Formats: sequence, C-alpha cells, structure tokens
Amino acid sequence: MIREMMRLAVWGLTPQRSEVVEALHDFGLLHVVSPPEAHTPSCEEEALRFTRAKVLGMLEAMEWKDWGSLTDEIVDRARDRVDLGIEGVIAEIDRSLDDFRNRLAVLLEERRRLSFSLAELKRAHQVVFHFIPFVSTEDWPDLNLSLWWVKSETLQKILSGLRNQLQKEEPGEERKETLRYHVLNTEKGQSVLAVSTALEMGEKVAEFLRQRGAVLWKAPEGFQRETARNSLLAVEEGLKETSSRLEGIAEEIRRAREEWGPRLASLYILLDERLEETLVESGSQTRGETFLIEGWIPSDSLDTVISLLKERFGDSVLVQWRYPSSEEWHRVPTLLSNPAATQPFEILLRLMPHPQYKGIDPTSLVAVFFPFFAGCMIGDAGYGALIALLGHRLSKSNAHPLLSPVGKILLWVSGWSVAWGIAFGEIFGDLGHRIFHIKPLWVERSHAVLPVLIFTVALGIAHISIGLFMGFLDGLRKKHRHLWMERLGSLIVLCSLVGLSLLVRLNLPRPFFSLNIILLVIGTALLLVGGKIGGIIETFSALGNVLSYVRIAAIGLSSAILAIVATRFVDVLGLSLLGILMALVIHLLNFVLAIGGSGLHSARLHYVEFFSKFYQGGGKEFRPFTRRRLSWKKPS
Amino acid sequence: MEKALLALAASLAIGIPALATAYAQARIGSAGAGTVAEKPETSGTMIILEAIPETIVILGFVVAIMMILQLA
Repeated sequence: MIREMMRLAVWGLTPQRSEVVEALHDFGLLHVVSPPEAHTPSCEEEALRFTRAKVLGMLEAMEWKDWGSLTDEIVDRARDRVDLGIEGVIAEIDRSLDDFRNRLAVLLEERRRLSFSLAELKRAHQVVFHFIPFVSTEDWPDLNLSLWWVKSETLQKILSGLRNQLQKEEPGEERKETLRYHVLNTEKGQSVLAVSTALEMGEKVAEFLRQRGAVLWKAPEGFQRETARNSLLAVEEGLKETSSRLEGIAEEIRRAREEWGPRLASLYILLDERLEETLVESGSQTRGETFLIEGWIPSDSLDTVISLLKERFGDSVLVQWRYPSSEEWHRVPTLLSNPAATQPFEILLRLMPHPQYKGIDPTSLVAVFFPFFAGCMIGDAGYGALIALLGHRLSKSNAHPLLSPVGKILLWVSGWSVAWGIAFGEIFGDLGHRIFHIKPLWVERSHAVLPVLIFTVALGIAHISIGLFMGFLDGLRKKHRHLWMERLGSLIVLCSLVGLSLLVRLNLPRPFFSLNIILLVIGTALLLVGGKIGGIIETFSALGNVLSYVRIAAIGLSSAILAIVATRFVDVLGLSLLGILMALVIHLLNFVLAIGGSGLHSARLHYVEFFSKFYQGGGKEFRPFTRRRLSWKKPS
Repeated sequence: MEKALLALAASLAIGIPALATAYAQARIGSAGAGTVAEKPETSGTMIILEAIPETIVILGFVVAIMMILQLA
C-alpha cells in the first residue's frame, strides 16, 4: 500500500528559523522540498563540509571501520554534549581536530618510516642469520673480513680467480689458510660471499672482486658499523628494537582508535546532521521577516506534527496543508506501508524503479505469488525444511540490513516448498518414498510431466489475468482511456482463448462457443480502440508471457530428477562412504540451485511478465528530514 | 526409424535454443557486468535482462517434452 501524502507549509519568523528547522529534524516526518534554484554555499556550510571531511579522513587514518558498533545512545550522548548551533563551536572543534590530527600524523609517519626500515632489516637479516657464526670465528684484528654481492653463476670462477691471485701474492704452503670464505645463495640468482683474508691483502681482494662485478654488501642505513661483524650485530639488534617500537605504535593507535573512533564517528554524524539543517535553512524561502519551509508528510502523521509544532512554538508558527493536485502527483514522494508479514517483500521492489505516488504497490501480491512459485519449483519437503532452518537463521541476523528480510522471505518459500513437496511426494527426491513409502498427494512430477505443465500454464493465465485486471483498474483510476481499454481488451481476449481451449478439450455445449466468440470480438474491438495495432501485439505478448510460466514445471522437473540421481548414487556405489558422500554432494548442489534458480525465476516472472501489465516506476522515494537514527524506522 | 527421428527432433528442439540462449546470455552478461560496474543501481535491470533469453530454451524444453511423450 502507498501512504497518502499531504503538502505541508510551515511559516514562521526568521529569527526562529533555526529552532523550527531543528524541531522538524527531531520529528523526522517531513520530506522537505527545496526550491529548484541553486544557492551559493554559505561560510557555515563550507566549514561544516570541510570539518566533516576532516573527521572522516581521521577515521580512515586510524583505520576505524566499526560503524556497526555505533549505537543511538552513543550518538545521543555526543548530541547532548556538543551544540553545533552555537557560533564558533565548529571553529573550536576544527582547532581541536587539528591538534589531534597532528599528534596522529606524527605517530603514523613514524610507523611508516619504521615499517620501511623493518622491511629493509628483514631483508638484511637473512644475510645476518646466515653469516653470524662465520663472522664470529673470523673476527680477529689481523684478518680482513668483507661481504660481497656476486652473481651465482660467476661465483666459482671468482673464487678460483681469487685463490690464484692470493697464490701469486703469497706463494708457498700457507696459501690454504690465507683465503676463507662462506657463501649464501639467494633466490634471485644472487649470492652473498663472505671473504676473510689477511689484513694486508684486504685492498687487493676488494679490487679484484670489484673488477669482476661484485658489489660490497652493506647493512641498511643507520646500522652500518666499522667492522662487518658489528654491522651484522647492529642489524640483529635493530630488527628487535624496530619490531618492538612498531608494536608499541600499533598499540598506541589501537588505543586511540578504541577511545576516539566512536567519538569521532558520532561527531561525523552530528556534523552531517547539522549540515542537513543548514541546507534546509538556506533552502527555505524568506519573505521579509518570515520564512517558509515546504514538504510532504504522510497524511496520518499530520496531526502529530501540527500538535508538536504548536506545543513548542505556539502561535508564532503558522502551518498550512493540502492534498496534492493531480498535476503534481509525479512530484509527490512515495512511502510504502505494508503489514509486518509482507514487508520483507519490499526488498524485491528495490530492483525496480520506485513506484509512482498514484501507482500500485504490488508488495502484497508479490508476497502471495513469489513464495508460491518458488515453492512449486523446489517442491521438496526435505529441501523446504532445510530452507526453513536457513531462513530462521538469517531472519535473526543483524550482520547486514538485507539478511533479515531475505530470511523471512525464505521462511515463506520453505512453507510452500514443504506443501508442494507433500503434493509431489518428494523428501530429498525419492528418499521419502524409499524409506517411508510416502505417496504423492497429487502427482509424481518426475513421471507425470504433462499435468504439471498444464497446471503451470493455468497459473500463468491466472497471474497474468490479475496483472491485466490491475492495469485496467489503474487506467480507470487515472482516467487513462487507452490504458484501461487495452488492458481490458487483452483480459477479455485471454479469457475467450482459454474458453475456446476448454471447449475443444472438454467438448462443451455450442452456446459456450458463441459466448467465447462474442467475447473475442469485444476484446479485439477494445484492443483496437485502446491501443490500435500495438494492442493486438500486446495481447500476443501476453500469450507469450503465459507460456513463460512453464519454467516453473521445467525447473521443478530438473530439480526433482537431480534429487533422484543423487539418491541413485547410493544404489550404484552401495551404502558406502563414497556413495553417501556423492549423494550428499549432489543434494547440496541441487539445494543451492533450487534456492538460486527458484528465487531468480520467480522474481523474473514478476518483473517481466506480471509487472509489465500494470506497474509504473519513476516515483520518488520518501526521504524524511530526520536525525541519523541508527535504528530508525518509518514513521507510523 | 520414426522414433529415432522423434528423439533427434526432441534433442534439437532443446539443444539449439540452449545454444542460442547461452550465446545471448553471454553477450548480455558481459555488457551487463560493464554497466553494473559503472552504474550499480542498474543491477536489477541487468538481472532481468540476463534472465529474458531463458524463455527460448524453456519453450524448447516444452516442445521436446511433447515429442518425448509421443515416443512413450
């Protein structure tokens, strides 16, 4: 059902404008209409936008994302403490934010710098870890120790060349002891070579290695010491210190996030609300010493708003109201209002353009037919029971706003799945029949295909006829002659064609034939008058739409056969672990396909076949000017 | 021979529309993915457009069932 709206105009004295706007914001019942002309943003607006962006930036810098934990109580507490309406408060908040941001920026910059340093130290630590034992044994004043990057492929050549070089320099028996080395092969075709020689040979060895493309290994900047051993030890020490400091910074940021995250998020909401108020104020029309705020309000909330305004402002505020004229129907926002049982199905309308104010809200019809069709496609009591469990679990979930309505829809679908499962005698395919010898109440759809096909076509005729009838009523209400004549013509032609089919099938008496022919002529005449050739084409399209409902039987049949195939695995492979596992896997696949396929096709039957007969989108959604209530519900 | 031809016709009745549907859905799907990436609010329309070609294969299925029932 679409709620009736009224145009509300609130007049008041300009000095009271802020208070009136604040009061309307508190009531949260008015869909404010601003004049179409663009206004130049005021200084306050600019300041609010800037501060709001700054707060959001800080929340992101602190990596605070826990919006779900923010409750109305936390925001209300912040609202009581901070009055953004007082002059100079925004500037003061801005200054405080700058102080806080600077302190946060210092921490974040240190973390960035240390993270970079830690990455370098970790890379160097691979070398340190490997060479510490070697370096410790070679740490003598008369020895020269250095580490070099060399290409792995040239390592052996370099080592043999180095041996020869040292042999030339110091020929004799002691040469074996003049060169000691240790190698670390890294993954990228590079090796680190640690070379230990006599102190006086250090320069010559370095020269030799440089000439062969080797590069001296250095500890990261800040950790280089006089000797290689000290550099390696500094890296090891630095790694521990940097990790520890980073953990300390992470802890500081975590504490700041936990302490300041909810406060800043509340401040963000307050700033956003204040900005909305400022926009409404600047969008109000000022005439001399008075101002005017206009908007739309549900008619049943009118008395509440008037009494609240009178209670707070007395006679200093004048309120006028009226019903919208037919010329402005297209500008009136639409607010859907459905009983709690059918309300979850409103989410299915979100995929369509919003209904027009004087259009039809099909939620109740969707609530009847959607689970009926989906249940008919699934048609298995076992799967229905599983869907009920899933639906119950989702309906209690608060993880996402969509989960609860989806869960409730699944509960409806599960009810019809069980009902159709009993009609078709299916519990996890033919398992019910095998174990409990359950017989179908109506037909076994995997064997009797034709009756189910005919039934689904009949369902299609009924559904499309309801759609055409709704379109006819909509046309009458809007005094749209072409629309109602075309819809009525299509409906009559459809009925007459069904009548003629029954006549042939059931061999009905002759007067019945004449009646149907008369209906066919009347329907065709209405179609030609209402929609000309387009009307005839529309009727053919309606007939195609009716045939489209065969998908209910087709998808149901495939689901039933897949369930039977799953159980047959136990026959083929025996009552073994593999057989049971295969059966479970196929049943799981079928279950997922049943939920996805039945939902998608049932929705499609509504969107394409049913809605096209009467539904008109293009309406505006009712968006009340309200506080950012985290548990906000529609006004009642 | 007649039964064999009927079986062949039934398989063609569902096979050819299935291929046509697959082709149409592939084209619509790729275009739809691009559209949804740019305008997420069109996702509902895209789901509907994606499901439209399936009517062909469902009608093919009905024809195939009719033929198979004649076989039986």
